[in-house]
Amino acid sequence: MSLESTGPHSVAPLLSLTGLHKWFGGVHALCDARMVLQKTGVVHALMGQNGSGKSTMLNILSGQMRPDEGVIAMGGSRMTFRSPLDALAHGISMVSQETALAEDLSIAENILLGHRLIRGKMGIDWGATRDRAREVLTQVGADYDPAWIVRSLRPDQKQMVEIARALSTDVRILVLDEPTSSLTDEETKGLFAAIRRLKEQGVCIIYVSHRLPEVFEISDEMTVLRDGVTVAEGHKGDFSPRSLVAAMVGTEKPLPLREGQTCGSGIPVLQIRHLSVEGSVSDVDLEVCEGEIVGLGGLLGSGRREVLEAIYGLRRPSAGTILLSGKPLKNDNPLVAIKHGIGFVPPDRKTQGVVLPMSVKDNLAMAATSERQRLSSPRNGTIEEECRATSKLLAIKAELDAEVMTLSGGNQQKVALGKWLLRPPKVLLLDEPTRGVDVSAKGEIHRHLRDAASRGIAMLVSSSEYDELCDLCDRIVIFFRGCVVATIPRDEATETRLAALGGGTKEG
Amino acid sequence: MKRAVSDIFASTRPFRTVLAIVVLLFALFAVWQPGFRTILNVQNVLASISILWIVAMGMTFVLVSGGFDLSVGAIAALCGIFLGKVLEAHLLPGPVAVAATIIVGAILGGVLNGLFVAVFRLSVFVVTLASMTALTGIVLIWTNTQSIYVTNPVVNQISISRLLGVQTPIYIMIVVFAIFLYVQRRTYFGRDIYATGGSYTAARLSGVRTERTLIMVYAVAGACAGLAGAIAVGRVGAAVPQVDPGLALQAVAAVLIGGTALTGGAGSVVGTAFGCLFIGILQNGLNMVGVASSWQYVVTGIILLASVLGGRVGGHRGGMLTGLKRALGFRSPPPADSCAVEPAADAASGRGESDR
Repeated sequence: MSLESTGPHSVAPLLSLTGLHKWFGGVHALCDARMVLQKTGVVHALMGQNGSGKSTMLNILSGQMRPDEGVIAMGGSRMTFRSPLDALAHGISMVSQETALAEDLSIAENILLGHRLIRGKMGIDWGATRDRAREVLTQVGADYDPAWIVRSLRPDQKQMVEIARALSTDVRILVLDEPTSSLTDEETKGLFAAIRRLKEQGVCIIYVSHRLPEVFEISDEMTVLRDGVTVAEGHKGDFSPRSLVAAMVGTEKPLPLREGQTCGSGIPVLQIRHLSVEGSVSDVDLEVCEGEIVGLGGLLGSGRREVLEAIYGLRRPSAGTILLSGKPLKNDNPLVAIKHGIGFVPPDRKTQGVVLPMSVKDNLAMAATSERQRLSSPRNGTIEEECRATSKLLAIKAELDAEVMTLSGGNQQKVALGKWLLRPPKVLLLDEPTRGVDVSAKGEIHRHLRDAASRGIAMLVSSSEYDELCDLCDRIVIFFRGCVVATIPRDEATETRLAALGGGTKEG
Repeated sequence: MKRAVSDIFASTRPFRTVLAIVVLLFALFAVWQPGFRTILNVQNVLASISILWIVAMGMTFVLVSGGFDLSVGAIAALCGIFLGKVLEAHLLPGPVAVAATIIVGAILGGVLNGLFVAVFRLSVFVVTLASMTALTGIVLIWTNTQSIYVTNPVVNQISISRLLGVQTPIYIMIVVFAIFLYVQRRTYFGRDIYATGGSYTAARLSGVRTERTLIMVYAVAGACAGLAGAIAVGRVGAAVPQVDPGLALQAVAAVLIGGTALTGGAGSVVGTAFGCLFIGILQNGLNMVGVASSWQYVVTGIILLASVLGGRVGGHRGGMLTGLKRALGFRSPPPADSCAVEPAADAASGRGESDR
């Protein structure tokens, strides 16, 4: 596999992954997936919703996982990558979503860390090392001083350093996993300039992003994954934003009929006016009525999570007001929120939702008893009875005395939810309410949420799964880059439409 | 009746190993050395660990909350000096002076350690190392490195006198233990300590006042150190300007041997009590059979390693034997009441301090 064979005139593609299969336990994450890069110097977008198998494919490509079946070939010869180093040796380098840099070292050290610091007679030759780092930085068009400490850099500059680090090896295929998720518009432009520069130098780029306009701007060709299968591939010109989203979402499931189509009583409980949070939310208006479930959709970092956190007092709004039953709410502490009747089911069950080494009962009682005298006894019968009732209501399959860590994910999530149903709040905020639970538990939790709403609780549900929002909510608000871009009533919501809006396409 | 017995047995699960070791050790010395099993000697064992016991009770709460406290030895010494100075100047009558000493300990612990750990979120290790160092200096400066002799009868009484033939420190130990057991099992404050140590974020998001809980925990540890300092003064008959550098670490060792996790969220003062008994019996027994007492450190070190290793393998909850058994490949059947589905959360674990 010499360089000649990968040239533009050869028949064998530069890189091909074909017939890939990967199982995780019973889950078929990749099922005959393929991706082919014909020639050098192109930007190839890999598209797909959450859980479509993108990450698995990237992990296989970068040598972090091995496929159960399938062929990886470069320039016609078959490859087996045993480790990331192995993939690197073949010119494949990945820049992952979170930057992985040693924050307190200099740019030069970060770029050339490992075995690539240049050694002179007297140990490391810092002069030569910096020159080499500067050389690589120029390649991406960044004129940083290699002596700068990484911690002092902006996110986009860190991203550049990571790309430069990838380039310091002899890279032919560069994988960028959601490189723009933490960048501003201006910074994204700088990144794109660097990508184009690399393209001219003959580097192939595999570009993963959920932002559709970006993908259409920068990429030359695309591969679309859905449920582990490659459902579409081709040149950018073969796709329109609509057909791309349609390929990603697939056939629409009909909306489930819902018993008691209550869409709230029409009395607003929570009103948000011109809410802004430094760096994540700008000028958001929202309203939730009694008994209504409002969904917040959009990409990670689009501001939907930050809105919930601001309401619960975990983030300080930089502007705007939050009205609860018409009265302005000022809080910088979850305790204030709880006192006012606001509950919060956080996104990470194991570290935020429940206290794993405590019993089901103690977890359930925690929120309801936060106002008790500290030295009084929690063993008076009423709390115990309430916990038992809640546990029964949610069908938590465990004894009240069982430690939460011994429960299944679905039951743990029910405990995280149940602690708020002991003393039903006016408003319940939920962030990813069914993350990491199995399908049946998910349906059960949805049913309990609708039950709770029918008893008058107003709910705000933030989720990255558009089908969950379609299933659960009376109204869906889509966020993009900190702003509300659309509000869609339930009967007009389709997964395709939500995904397109969340990805940044505008509706004509 | 039968039910109650089995409940009591079930509730011993997390510290069953240390309980077994204590019983075995006691039996060993009792057979080996007849002088060991006299009531007088048992009293001596208990009285000899009274200071460690009281400090270790406070330390248990600190460890359960996910923390650590190096400064209790220094707080104890400083409180002793405070007591000596107050009595020397006849500022307060004996009993009031002792109460004031405990309060001073609580304030030192709560303000110095609690505030910096809870509010400023500094590393517990750094904070308590700093307060230990600074307080040691203050002890020396305040006393000019001179001991203060204390003749007040009340103070001597709390360390040396007997009531119904039993030394007073033993009563104090029992009372302190009872209070801690009550707080641990039957109060919201006790629940808050476990919640804060188990998951700080989850506790905070559920409305637990995590900051206040941490401040209180360090104040309680400080109060215990204050009481321990007062007892030490009574025992020697003087406030000695000397910080016992090993007290804090020995207390931590007793807590860990008792099955409390260094990572927080799990543990029990009952286990700590057995941890202290282990150290006391070992010390006294080795003395009696004529083994150089330095060996107790070697044995304590080995048992400490074994119990933490066992706790680690056993997921910090199953106790040492469960953990060691699992490490060696034996599997115990899961309890019937759990519905273990996730492999990560093994069903064979169970933190039995859960109140039944």
